[in-house]
Amino acid sequence: MNSPVTVWRHHKQINKNLNKTGRLLVWTKVFVAPSGFEHEAPYFVAIVELEDGQKMPLQLVDCEEKDLKIGRQVMTVVRKRGKVGLDEVIEYGIKAKLI
Amino acid sequence: MTKIAVAGVGLTKFGEMWDKSLLDLAFEASKEAIKDAKMNKNKIDAVFVSNMLIGKIAGQDHLGAVIASSLDLNCASFKVEGACASGGLAIHLAIQSLLAGTYKNALVVGAEKMTDASTSQITWALMGASSSQERKAGLTFPALYALLAQAHMQKYGTTREQLAQVAVKNHSHATLNPKAHYPFEITLEQVLKSNSISYPLGLLDCSPITDGAAAVVLSATESSGIFISGSAVATDNIDLAQRDSLTELKATKLAAKIAFDQAGVEIDDIKIAEVHDCFTIAEILAMEDLGFCPKGEGGKFIAGGSTQLGGRCPVNTSGGLKACGHPVGATGVKQIIEITQQLRQSAALRQVRGANLGLTQNVGGTGATVAIHILQT
Repeated sequence: MNSPVTVWRHHKQINKNLNKTGRLLVWTKVFVAPSGFEHEAPYFVAIVELEDGQKMPLQLVDCEEKDLKIGRQVMTVVRKRGKVGLDEVIEYGIKAKLI
Repeated sequence: MTKIAVAGVGLTKFGEMWDKSLLDLAFEASKEAIKDAKMNKNKIDAVFVSNMLIGKIAGQDHLGAVIASSLDLNCASFKVEGACASGGLAIHLAIQSLLAGTYKNALVVGAEKMTDASTSQITWALMGASSSQERKAGLTFPALYALLAQAHMQKYGTTREQLAQVAVKNHSHATLNPKAHYPFEITLEQVLKSNSISYPLGLLDCSPITDGAAAVVLSATESSGIFISGSAVATDNIDLAQRDSLTELKATKLAAKIAFDQAGVEIDDIKIAEVHDCFTIAEILAMEDLGFCPKGEGGKFIAGGSTQLGGRCPVNTSGGLKACGHPVGATGVKQIIEITQQLRQSAALRQVRGANLGLTQNVGGTGATVAIHILQT
């Protein structure tokens, strides 16, 4: 679990990479998830290369396996990250969706 | 490099050791190593403990003093952590302290107690070896290696069957190792049909959650026996996405070059190797990055049989991480023990005839730390 201050610090960085386009380099489908992500499994994670040349690992949202082709265009979006306990701060982060 | 002797070795059974604590395992392996070295324990003047997880999953830190005092020693003692390469790092540091002349005899003990925690706890704890960005993306170690496997399959046409072949071979070796976690054969079909952990890797492509400990006594004063003649560590970006290539582990190449130069040998001289097959793709990458075969041909090379017992250079005769088990902090030390036993010609049914020069490759994370050692008679 992240403390409120680390979530706050992380949130200040989100807009840096929001709404950017990029392409899919490589992806996997995670069936066995770490703590905090179990409720989302199975889910897709990819390494994405953004238009500005940055490469980063991002969870893929709103997509189907048959559409995951290498080189496929993606766009970064903001989404809730992992599971949030009743008394915890909701953390948001960058994910990617196909375009 | 001045040679450092492996004076004694001790290894617990690897597996689900419900009735043993981390301390029990470390104590058992250490006692055996000191006895095997035929050394008065008071001649040990430094202890290096390798462990990754116990602070996180059981709250016990300060392991240097914990382990030294359990052996009734008051000498210098250190805990070394470098994810799954903790063992290799501890061996490397112990060697540096002996080469510096600070100490004469060092005990290196790697231990991990994993089965006390749940699978999701362990999966989370292991992710401490990755980048914050990778954790935020919901990645796991099987998923990170699945990305490496996908990249290799895309670029070189490596097949799912070739990945599976690594697990089949290492299980076959483990049937000859009484200390192995899984000393039984598995078939290609079983690997291919095993439950998906992270596509394309199935359960039987993954090393297990294992308890165990391994210990060696290293000595700067012994003049006979088995020696370490090369010891090198290299690092790379901890975040997979920031690497130059997803189809090689650069740190393996860098560390191997230094270790080969120190020992004055080449890859073709190596008769036996223990490499870090945490996932099946990792052994394919190791074969290529160490230079056993050209880049892109690792899958075909392993499937061809030359790294099986009886082949030109058997790899992972212990069963590897896949079938001997992977108690994270112990693995790098266990690799040294397997090669030592082979070079002593004491590996019983899995003995490689004429083995006189061996190599170990111990990887932390997805290759952010790699430790390479070369051992010879």
